[in-house]
Amino acid sequence: MKSETGKTLIIRFLSSLLTLFLLVSFLFVLIRLSPGNPTDKYISAKLGSELSEKIAEKFSLNQPVAEQYFAFLSNVFQGDMGVSYNYRLPVFEVIWEYFSFTLVFVAISFILQISISILLALWVIKKQKRWLENFFASSSLMVYSIPAFVLGVALIYIFSVSLNLFPISGLKSLDYDNLSFFSKFFDKLHHLVLPLITLTAAGVAMFYRYIKESMDDVLNQTFIVNLKASGVSDKTILKKHVIPNAIRPLISVAGVELGILLGGTLITEVIFSLPGMGRLTIDSILSRDYPLVIGCVFTAGTVMILANFFADIVKLKIDKRLVKGILN
Amino acid sequence: MNIKTLNLFLLSFLFLLIISCDSKKSVSENRIVIGIAADVQSFNSLFAFSYEESAIAEILFPGLSDFKWNEDRGELDAYPMIAKSWQWSDDSSSIKFYLRDDVYWSDGQQLTASDVVFSYDVFSDPEVQSRLFGMFNYLFTDTAGQTDIEKTFNVISPYEFEFHFPENSVPDLVKIVIPIIPEHIFSNLSGDQLASHKSNFNPVSSGAFKFKKWDKNQTIILEADSNSFLFTSEQAAELVFKVVPDYTSRILQLKRGDIDLVELVKVEDMGELKAEGNLTLVTLTGREYDYIGWSNFDSNNPSKPHKLFGSSNVRKALTMAINRKEILDEYLSGQGELAASSVSTIFKSAFNDEVKPYEYNPDEAKRLLALEGWKDENKNGILEKGKTEFKFTMYYPVGNPLREYAAVVIKNNLKAVGIEVTMEKMEMGTFFNNLYERKFDSWIAGFGVPIPLELKPYWYSDPGVGFLNFSSFRNDEADKILDQLETKISKERKNKLIKKFQEIIHLDEPVTFLYWTPNVVAYNNRIKNLNITPYGVLVHCREWKIE
Repeated sequence: MKSETGKTLIIRFLSSLLTLFLLVSFLFVLIRLSPGNPTDKYISAKLGSELSEKIAEKFSLNQPVAEQYFAFLSNVFQGDMGVSYNYRLPVFEVIWEYFSFTLVFVAISFILQISISILLALWVIKKQKRWLENFFASSSLMVYSIPAFVLGVALIYIFSVSLNLFPISGLKSLDYDNLSFFSKFFDKLHHLVLPLITLTAAGVAMFYRYIKESMDDVLNQTFIVNLKASGVSDKTILKKHVIPNAIRPLISVAGVELGILLGGTLITEVIFSLPGMGRLTIDSILSRDYPLVIGCVFTAGTVMILANFFADIVKLKIDKRLVKGILN
Repeated sequence: MNIKTLNLFLLSFLFLLIISCDSKKSVSENRIVIGIAADVQSFNSLFAFSYEESAIAEILFPGLSDFKWNEDRGELDAYPMIAKSWQWSDDSSSIKFYLRDDVYWSDGQQLTASDVVFSYDVFSDPEVQSRLFGMFNYLFTDTAGQTDIEKTFNVISPYEFEFHFPENSVPDLVKIVIPIIPEHIFSNLSGDQLASHKSNFNPVSSGAFKFKKWDKNQTIILEADSNSFLFTSEQAAELVFKVVPDYTSRILQLKRGDIDLVELVKVEDMGELKAEGNLTLVTLTGREYDYIGWSNFDSNNPSKPHKLFGSSNVRKALTMAINRKEILDEYLSGQGELAASSVSTIFKSAFNDEVKPYEYNPDEAKRLLALEGWKDENKNGILEKGKTEFKFTMYYPVGNPLREYAAVVIKNNLKAVGIEVTMEKMEMGTFFNNLYERKFDSWIAGFGVPIPLELKPYWYSDPGVGFLNFSSFRNDEADKILDQLETKISKERKNKLIKKFQEIIHLDEPVTFLYWTPNVVAYNNRIKNLNITPYGVLVHCREWKIE
């Protein structure tokens, strides 16, 4: 069984690498075939077109796409994604500065989504009130349907403009450097409350519905009725039987959701002026900074593949019978 | 931990969070916060390509002189900066600069003529690909465009040097002055090393403000440099550029006092901002105009006039058929001005006030079209000439609500005179790429007007020189004038020629000039001594004071 699991994981890993390679190759060709020229912005009445031509020459943009692609592949195998046209720095050096924030931001939001939704589902089940269940069922649907840009702006109007409780934008105060360690922590947290609510709300609503339905399914199983009849306490049934059984299908969804979350930070980052990778990706697309676009997609794709890969490992840990399903 | 305890814990945490961060204004007494839409990528003046980068670079790296906008003449007046004075030779073949001896870089090194010479060398170096590359043709240069230092400069002492110009060169101070960068920081670096050098992100400067801190995509903080020759005790202690990409958020922060100054305020927000009481609004026009481009010649056969827009009468008719004033009044609430050519009223000495914008006159438009043979013979509501119907597609870039509004008005107005237009929006990068490749017959776009006025790149018939002449306008007399403007002539003669040029453009109407679009600047009344002119908003921020 152990060797079968190991083999499954290796095949899964190799197929992930292939997916990543195909993704980057497809993107490379697509972006170069799309209209637009990264050097157009260097043409102006004052500059003329000489600079634009020089820069095109420097970044080999005049060469055929196939030639550019093979040069790109050979660089990638050496761990070099190229130099950003805009920043004139190695792509990963640029990405890292923005990715670190997005990673932490998304991780906090993800943990909040999972923990709040589980706690909420448990609380609603424990209360066993029909109206409460109905209320959360419909309100979760409503929250899930609100677009992030509407929720973000509404939160700013209520909590920042009207009540003056939270800052409108940014990650820290202008006087951040003069604050004590404790105040620095709270200052950042103070700035992140509204963005986190904006990013987390829809996920909480989705996970809540998912977990609640799973828990209801498990609670209706015969073995739960038998356990109850045997005199096992509700607390033990929930802890030892309902939660582990209900949480299993959540893991696959969570892996995908983490990837979606990573791409979904853009709107929150723009509304709250946060220094994340979503903004970097969009800026690089609009300015046709090809190496940076590919670097951003490569990074996001890697995280998504890794998230799914780890979700599979966790699933395997819980239930060995899933080996074939994962491979498929 | 049960749920009740958890709830209690979360509530206490939230309460602590709110009370620990008081809601006092984040803008301290002696700090000016400027809201900007996009972050910079470098502080090196060599690579300051964006508006924000060049604004900050100008603060950090002054040139030999600075300029002030002269409202009366509509020109720039030079005044001393790093150079305390200068003297032209009688035949303008050379200029001698006398530098101040009290100019120091922020790391304590003295700025001398050697830094000046180095700056011209690096800015013109093809390997560096600086933002000024290709602009040194008024100096002695090699075939690659790099300044020939030996022929151009004669360094007499650390504070005295001469520029020598080639025989046919027409130099003026506005062309000559560039930001001076520190030689001791960059001298041993190659082009590639220069682009990624650590000093680009922690610059050594000589201006009234020096670099303090950069939180990427958040804030750029410049602090007063008390060792700078430009420092005054009245200037702000800190200048903060706050990156807020969302327009609504910038405006909310301006109203709340978190930001002191915002540019490009939407006209529809002006009333609300004025009502705040603590904000001043200034409208600048004359630096940017919107136009409808018409291909004057067939793109497949450049010697053949375009089948629809090849005649100046047709182009004039198209202009007369469009109610530009309605767009101006309805969308811009009367802010901005109708345009008659690419020379705006701000250039007072060169502006020809006899050239008036064509009036909205659909009847006259129909008459001119009929004169050119465009008639609705088959009564289907569309004009035709032979077998050709007057139908075309007009392209415009997405993301500009004014142009989107104008597109609807233009389509309806042209329909009323029997012309069918299909409006097509296009992603910005794709749009400009197609424009540069001359792929459109008709489009809506805009141009920024440089100071000092440049006309040749926009209107010269040779596409190599007139690389922004997308409508392929051709007129021998206009070409002659544009050539003459580059020769050694007096200012009066130059202005006369520019006035004549406007007449030619007006008669030919190569494009439909729509309007000069406004740049509305809003700032907090606590900032004093702002001198907002067409030359720029942030250019003299070292002179701003806080009440």
